[in-house]
Amino acid sequence: MKQKILIIGGLTLLSPLLYSFCGFYVSKADGTLKNKTSQVILVRDGNRNVITMYNDFKGDTKDFAMVVPVPVVLQKENIKVVDPSIFQKLNDYSAPRLVEYWDENPCNRHMYDEVATVADKSLNRMMAPGKAESREKESSVRVEAKYLVGEYDILILSAKESTGLKTWLTENGYKIPPNAEEVLDPYIRSNLKFFVVKVNEKEKQKLNNNFLRPIQIAFSSPKFMLPIRLGMANADGDQDLIVYAFTRKGRIECTNYRNVDIASNKNIPLFVQKNFGAFYANLFTQQWKNEGKNISLLEYAWNVTPVNQLKCDPCVGNPPAEQDLVQSGVWWLYGKDWNDYSDIDNDEPDNGDRSVYFTRLHVRYNRKSFPQDLMFQVTPNTENFQARYIITHPASGDFNCAAGKKYLQDLKERRKKELQELTRLTGTDLSNWQEDAMAKNDETKIETVQYETLIPVYKETFPDRDTGPVGILFLSGLVLGAAGFLRWKGII
Amino acid sequence: MLPARLLKDARYFQIIFQSIFLTYGIFVLHWKSETWLYATYFATSLIVQFACEWIGGNKNIPLLERYRKGIPSVLISSFGLSLLLKTHEPVAAILAATVSILSKYILRINGKHIFNPSALGIVAAVLLTGNAWISPGQWGSDAVIVFTVLSLGFTVTTKVQKIDVSLAFLGSFGGLLFTRQIIYLGWPMDHFIQSVSTGSLLLFAFFMITDPKTTPNHRVARILWSIGIGCAAFYLATFRFINGAPIYVLVAAQPLIPLLDKLFKARNFEWTPSTKMTIQEERFLQTIYSKSVM
Repeated sequence: MKQKILIIGGLTLLSPLLYSFCGFYVSKADGTLKNKTSQVILVRDGNRNVITMYNDFKGDTKDFAMVVPVPVVLQKENIKVVDPSIFQKLNDYSAPRLVEYWDENPCNRHMYDEVATVADKSLNRMMAPGKAESREKESSVRVEAKYLVGEYDILILSAKESTGLKTWLTENGYKIPPNAEEVLDPYIRSNLKFFVVKVNEKEKQKLNNNFLRPIQIAFSSPKFMLPIRLGMANADGDQDLIVYAFTRKGRIECTNYRNVDIASNKNIPLFVQKNFGAFYANLFTQQWKNEGKNISLLEYAWNVTPVNQLKCDPCVGNPPAEQDLVQSGVWWLYGKDWNDYSDIDNDEPDNGDRSVYFTRLHVRYNRKSFPQDLMFQVTPNTENFQARYIITHPASGDFNCAAGKKYLQDLKERRKKELQELTRLTGTDLSNWQEDAMAKNDETKIETVQYETLIPVYKETFPDRDTGPVGILFLSGLVLGAAGFLRWKGII
Repeated sequence: MLPARLLKDARYFQIIFQSIFLTYGIFVLHWKSETWLYATYFATSLIVQFACEWIGGNKNIPLLERYRKGIPSVLISSFGLSLLLKTHEPVAAILAATVSILSKYILRINGKHIFNPSALGIVAAVLLTGNAWISPGQWGSDAVIVFTVLSLGFTVTTKVQKIDVSLAFLGSFGGLLFTRQIIYLGWPMDHFIQSVSTGSLLLFAFFMITDPKTTPNHRVARILWSIGIGCAAFYLATFRFINGAPIYVLVAAQPLIPLLDKLFKARNFEWTPSTKMTIQEERFLQTIYSKSVM
C-alpha cells in the first residue's frame, strides 16, 4: 500500500540557540555574555585526541576570551584553526530527519509524486569586528607558552592556586564569573593547564571575514573527557552541547552519565512537517525531562569510513568527504598522519586501519544535574543509529471501491495513532497542534479523516502515560511470585 | 509469608534481585533490549554446565540430580553477564558464558574454584575479542536508591552474605575517592556523590565481590583482600582512566586467595550464627559452599 520515496527534511538544530564552545568567557565589558550551545568535534584513538571547538561568539571581538582546561602544555604545531563550514557539514549530515512516504490509492494503483523538501539549515555566524589585546604574565601564574595562531592570540597558563589565576585575569582587566574560582581550583590541583584564547585584531582584519574560525588542538592523554564544569560558571540555566565524535572502532559513549537513544522511527502526523524544528525541540526536551535530565542522548551513529558506500539512509546532507574528515582531525586517513602534529608523544604504533566511525551526542546540561565533567569511552559498538521521523501522505482520488473504503478506515486509525504518538513524544496537548493542523491544508479531501476533524475527537482521550514504575513493580511481583511458587512446589 | 525453605539458600534471593535489576534496566532505564544476548548467555551457560557435569561431575550422584543442583549458580552467573557485559557479537557472548562456567570446573585449587565466574567471563570477552564492552554509564545515578534498597534488602534477608567484604571494598574505594575529590582537589560534594552513586559499583560491591566461594575464608584476610581491591581499583580508575576497573582488579586478585587461606588458617568459615547450627543449616551452608554465587 505504501510507496516509499526517500525525501528528507533536515533540521536546523534547536530553536533559539547560540553556538559556542563550553569554555567560559572572561568578559572585559560588563554586558552579560552567555554561551548556550556548544559544538565540538572529538577525534580519539588510543590515547590520542584532537578536539575542535566552535565559537559562535556574538559581540565585540575585543571582549572575546575563552578559557579551556587542557591536560598538557600544547605546542604551536598542535594548535590549528579550521574552516567553520565543517561544523555546518557535520550538523547537516547528522541532524534528526523527517522521512516522507506516499500512500497509493488502492482504487488507482499508479499515481504518486516525488517531491523533495529540504529544510532551511542556515546558521548565520555574524561577528562584529573589534579589538583585542594581549597581556604579559604576572605574579604566581606562569605563562607556559604564547602563540599566534590564525586570528588568535593563545596563552597557555599554569597556576598554583585559583586565586593566583583569578588575580592574574583580574589584573589584566578581565571580568571573572562569580563562581569561577571554585571551579578553577580542582582543575589546577589536577595539574591541568589553561588554554586562554583571545582575538588578535590585526590578524583578524587581514582575514577579511566576519566570523571566528574554530580552534583545533591535538594532544596525547589517556583522559577522554570534555570540561563542561568551567562553562557552567557564567551560564544561567541549561546549555546544549553537540558532540561529533570520530573513532576507528565504534561509537563513543558517556561513562559517568546515562546514555539514552533519542526516540526514533516514529510515525507522526503530516502537519508536523511544517514545524519540524519545533517538534524535535519539544521531543528532545520531553525525553530529557522524562529520563531525569542527567543523561547523554544519542542522535546519530554511523560508519563513515571513506570506502563505505552507505553513509546514511536516508541522507539529510552530504556525508562528510574524506577531506572533511581530515579537516575534522581524523589523522589516520590518507594524506595525514599523527606526525603532522609534532612534539606529541608518539610511542603508540599506528595500525594503519582507516576505518572511521561517527557518533553524534547531544547533552543538555546544567549545574544541578551535571556535577562532573563529561567522561567518555570508545566502544566496539558499530550499530547504526539515526533520529528519524516518518510522515505519510494520504492517497488521493476516489475511494469508491471496497478496498478504498477499507483504506479510509485504516487511514483514520493510523492518523489516530500518529496523533497519539505526537502527544506522547512531545508531551504537549493536542490542542497546541490544532493550529498547525488547520493551517496546513489537509491533503485528503475526505473530511472524516482530516486531522482537523480528528484532533477535537481525540484530544480528551489520550492520557499521559508513564508505565515505567508500574512496569517494574508488576514484573518484580511476577518474578517474586514465580520464584516463590516454584520453591513451594519444590521445583527449585 | 514465603515458605521457610526459600529463605535458606541465598542463591534464590540473588536470582530474584538480579532479575529485578535486569527488569529495571530494560523497562525503566530503557536499555535497548537485547533478548538474543541474554538468551545466548543463559543457553550457553546451561549447556556448558551440563557438558561439564556429564564429563567431570561426581559420578556417585545421578547426572540430572547434580545438574539440577547447579542450575541456580548458572543462572546467577548468566544474570551477572547480562547485567554488565555488552556486545553485538554472538561469538563474544558465547565465549564469555563458556569461560565463566568452564572456569568453575577447570581452574580449581583445594576444592575451591579460583575465579568469580562472571567476572572472569567479562574480562575474557573484553580483552580477548575486542568486541565486548562494559558500560559503566548504563545505570545512571538516579538508580542508586533502588540499588541501595535492594542491596541492603538482599543482605538483610539472606544474612549469610559477606557484608564485611562489601563494606571493606566500598570503604576503601569510596574513602580514597572522597579524599582525592573532596579533600585534595576541592570538588563540591555532589561531584563525589556522582562518582559513587553508580549502579555498576553497587552491583559489584554487593553481588559480585561477595561471592562466598571466591573470597578468603578468614575474616581478617577477607577484609584486607577487599581493601586491597578497593585501593587498586581506585588507582586504576583515577590515574589510569580504566572503566570497570573493580572487575579487572577482582579477577587479578583472586589467585591470591589460596595463599591467603594458607596464611590465615583459622576455621573454615566464621559468618556463623551465634547459636549452634541445625543440620538443615549445615547442609545449606554446604550447598552454598559447593556452588558458586555469581
